[in-house]
Amino acid sequence: MNDSGLEAGPRSLDASVTEFVQVNEHYYSNQFAKIQGTNGFAFSWNTMAALLGPIWGALRGAWGFFWTFLVLELFALVQIGRGLWGELGADQIARYEKLLVNIAKREQQAKDLVASGDAAGAEAKLKIADNLKRVAAEAQEKADLASSEATSILLTGLVLLLIVKLLEGFLANRTYEKQYLTWRANPTVQSGISRMNAGFGILLLIAIWPLTLFRFTVSDPDAKLSALTGGLIGDRISITEFPINREYFAALAKKGDIGFDWAANNFSHVFEGITKVIRTVLDALEIVLIQTPWPVVMIVIVVMAFRLAGVRVAIFTAASLLYLAFMGLWEMSMITVALIGAGAFLCVLIGIPLGIWFGKSKRAYTIAEPVLDFMQTMPAFVYLIPIIAFFGTGKPPGVLATLIFAMPPVIRLTALGMRGVPETTKEAAVAFGCSKWQLLTNVELPLAMPSIMTGINQTILMSLSMVVIASLIGAEGLGALILEALQYAAKGQGLLGGLAILLCAMVIDRVAQGMYRKKVGAD
Amino acid sequence: MSEDVITLENVWKIFGDKAQEAMRAIEERGLSKPEVLAEFGCVVGIADCSFEVKRGEIFCVMGLSGSGKSTMVRHLNRLIEPTAGSISVLGKDILSLKGDALREMRARHIGMVFQHMALLPHRTVRDNVGFPLQVRGEPKSKRWEVSQRCLNMVNLDGYEDRYPRELSGGMQQRVGLARALASDPEVLLMDEPFSALDPLIRRQLQDQFMQLSAELNKTTVFITHDLDEAIRIGNRIAIMKDGRIVQIGTPEEIVTNPADDYVRDFVEGISKLKLVFARSIMEPINDYKAAHGDDLSVCPRADHGTDLDQLIDIATTTEHPIVIQDDNAQDVGVITKSRLLKGIQGGKA
Repeated sequence: MNDSGLEAGPRSLDASVTEFVQVNEHYYSNQFAKIQGTNGFAFSWNTMAALLGPIWGALRGAWGFFWTFLVLELFALVQIGRGLWGELGADQIARYEKLLVNIAKREQQAKDLVASGDAAGAEAKLKIADNLKRVAAEAQEKADLASSEATSILLTGLVLLLIVKLLEGFLANRTYEKQYLTWRANPTVQSGISRMNAGFGILLLIAIWPLTLFRFTVSDPDAKLSALTGGLIGDRISITEFPINREYFAALAKKGDIGFDWAANNFSHVFEGITKVIRTVLDALEIVLIQTPWPVVMIVIVVMAFRLAGVRVAIFTAASLLYLAFMGLWEMSMITVALIGAGAFLCVLIGIPLGIWFGKSKRAYTIAEPVLDFMQTMPAFVYLIPIIAFFGTGKPPGVLATLIFAMPPVIRLTALGMRGVPETTKEAAVAFGCSKWQLLTNVELPLAMPSIMTGINQTILMSLSMVVIASLIGAEGLGALILEALQYAAKGQGLLGGLAILLCAMVIDRVAQGMYRKKVGAD
Repeated sequence: MSEDVITLENVWKIFGDKAQEAMRAIEERGLSKPEVLAEFGCVVGIADCSFEVKRGEIFCVMGLSGSGKSTMVRHLNRLIEPTAGSISVLGKDILSLKGDALREMRARHIGMVFQHMALLPHRTVRDNVGFPLQVRGEPKSKRWEVSQRCLNMVNLDGYEDRYPRELSGGMQQRVGLARALASDPEVLLMDEPFSALDPLIRRQLQDQFMQLSAELNKTTVFITHDLDEAIRIGNRIAIMKDGRIVQIGTPEEIVTNPADDYVRDFVEGISKLKLVFARSIMEPINDYKAAHGDDLSVCPRADHGTDLDQLIDIATTTEHPIVIQDDNAQDVGVITKSRLLKGIQGGKA
C-alpha cells in the first residue's frame, strides 16, 4: 500500500517462522500472520492441538500448554468416569449395610431379652434399633440421590471436555506464536517438533492419568488395585497415602536430641558466658529505666522526643507514657523496653560489623545470606527449643531469641548501604592516600548511614514483635501480660496490654525516625 | 625544566583471572587483543605504553571511550596495578612502594581530579578540600587554612560552608580541583575533569586551569576524549587507541603530521590556523630564487614562528609572496599564496 516500511514486517519474518515451526510451515505462517495482523482476538483454530491436547503441547515444546490441559482434560475425564462407572453413594450404601447388620443385632438382643423376661431392657434395645433404622433410611436416601446424580455428572464432564477441546484448539496457535517470539530472542527455546518430548509427554500422561482417574472414580481404590495386581500395589504399596511409617523421622529426631544434650553438657561455659553478657546489658538498662524514679525517666523520655523529633511526637510520647502509668503498666513497660533495648543494642553491636564485612566480601555474604533467611523465616518456636536447652528460661534467653529474629535487617541494610557507596567516591578517597580504616570511617560509613539507620529502626520494631514470644520462655514484661491474657481468655487484659506494646513501639519508632530525619536533613 | 617527572616503560594491563598467563602468551606468541580475549577471556586494557612527562609539562592523553586512557592514568598512582612494565613518578619506582609509602606518595605528591567529581556528600566544601590533609593527619586549623587558600585559587571563596549538592556541576569540579591542589602535589592527574560539563563552563574551567597551571608549575597528566581540549591545554599529546599509544607529539606535530588514518580522522575537523607555523609550510628560499629570480626586496617579512592566522593577515595586505626569516633575521623561506592556501587546507605543503 505504501512504502513507509511499516508494511515490510510480515514478509521478512516469514523465513524465521518457517525456521521455527519446521513442520507445517504454510499453515503456521498463515496463522501467525493472522494473529499478528490484528490487535483483538484472532480466529485461529488448530485441529491437531484440539485432538491431541497436551501431547500437541509436548510435541511442540509448549510445556505450559501441556500442563494446563493435562490437568483440565484430566478433570473433565474424572467427571465422565464418575458418571459412567463411579459407584456414587458407595460410602452411603456401605454405611446403610453396616447399619442393617447393627439393627439386626439389636433386634436379636431385644428378642433374647424378651425371652429372658427383661421387658425394659428389650424396650431400650428396640428403641436403639429404631433410631438406627432412621439413620439407615437417611443413608439409603443419600445413596439414591448420589446415584441419580450420575447422569448429570457425566453430562457435566462431557461439556467440560468439549470446552477444554475448544480452548485447546483456539489457544494453541496463540500460545505457539508467543513461543515463536520468545524463540526469536532466545534460540535455545524449542523450535520445530520433537519426538522425544512428545514421548516424554506421553509417558507423563501414562504416569498421571490412569492412577488419578482410578483414584477419583472408584470407591476404595486400594482394595480394588490390590485385587487387580495380586496384592502388590494397593495392599503393600498404598496409592492413597505414602507407604511409610515414621521410623526415619523418629531415629533422626532421637539423634538430634542426643546432639543437643551433648552440646548443652559440653559447652555449658560458653552458654553461661553469653547469658552473662546479655544479663549485664539488661541489668544496666533496667537500672536506668526502672530503678531511676519514674518522674525522671518520664521527663527524660519526653524531652528527648521533643529535641529529636519535635513537638508533636513529644505530645504523643507524653500521652503514651501517661497511659502506661495510669494503667499501672509502668514497670512492666520499662521491663519490656529494657528487654528490647538490650536486644536492639546487641543487634547493632554485632550486626553492623557483620554488615560491613558482608558488604565488603561478596563471598562472605553469599554464605551468610541463607543463614539470614533462616533467622528471619524460621518460626520462633523452632529455635526456642534449643535456646531453652542451652540457656534455660528467663530474660537472657528471651533477648537471645529476639537477637536471632531481629538481627538480619540491620546486617542486610548495613551491607546494602556499604555496597551502595559509589566506587568513584571510594576511588577518589584512596587516590588521596586513605588507609582502609580512614576509608571506612570517613567515606563508607557516612555514606551508608541512611541505610544503616533504616536497619536499626527495623531491628527495633522487629524486637518489639518478639516480646510476646520471648515471654513464652519466661521473659517478663508486657509480653507476659498478654500471654496470661491468652491463657485465661481475658479479652480486656489482652487488649490493654496489646495497646501498651503498640504505644511503646510507636514512641520508639517515631523518635528514631525523627532523629534519623534530622540527621539526614542536616547533611 | 627537562627533568622527567613521570616515566612509563612498556606498561601492560590485562584484566581477567588469567592475566599472567595471557601476558606470557603475548610476550611469547605476540597474540592480538581479540585473540587474548578468545583464548584467555582476558581484556587487554593497556598495551605496551611508554612515555615520559617532563617537569611542568601538561601531557594530554587523548582517546575515545574504551581506549584505555582512564585505566592508564590510574597506573600512575597505582589505583590499578599493571600486569607488566615499570612506572616511576618523581624518581620513585611506584610499583615497589608498599602500604604506608604508597599512601604517603598519594597524599603528598600526586593529586587527582575525577570526571564525576567524587566529592563526599556529607562534608562541606571546606572539609572536602581539606580531606587530603586530614588523611595525612593535619590538624583542623591547618586544613582549613589551606582549604581556604585553594578555594580562593579556584574563585570559590564564599562557598566554604555549603554542601556539594548545593553547587552546580562546574562549581563542584572546581572544588575537585581545589581538593587536588590542597596537598600541594608536584603531579596532578586529571581524569576527564571537564567532560561532564557544558561547553561554556568547560571553556571557562580550561582557561582557569591553564592559568593556575602556569602559576603553580605542576606536572600534569590530563585525560580527555576531546582533541580540541587536548590541543588547547596540552604541551604534548598522546593519542591512544585500543590500549596502545598511536602517536605522541606536540599539537602541531599531531595536526600537521598524523601518524596514521586513525589520527588523521581526528585531526580532520581541527582548525589548524593557530597550530601550524610558517616554518613548516615555507619553501626554502634558494628553491624559490632558482625558479622566480632573486629580487625579494618588496616582499613583506615574517618570523618563522608566525602561525597561519597571522600569515593570512599579512597576505591580505600585499600581492607579493611572504618571506620568512629565522631567529637571526636571515631570510630562510618563502610562502606564496597557493602554498598558504594548501597549508590552511591540511598542512600538506
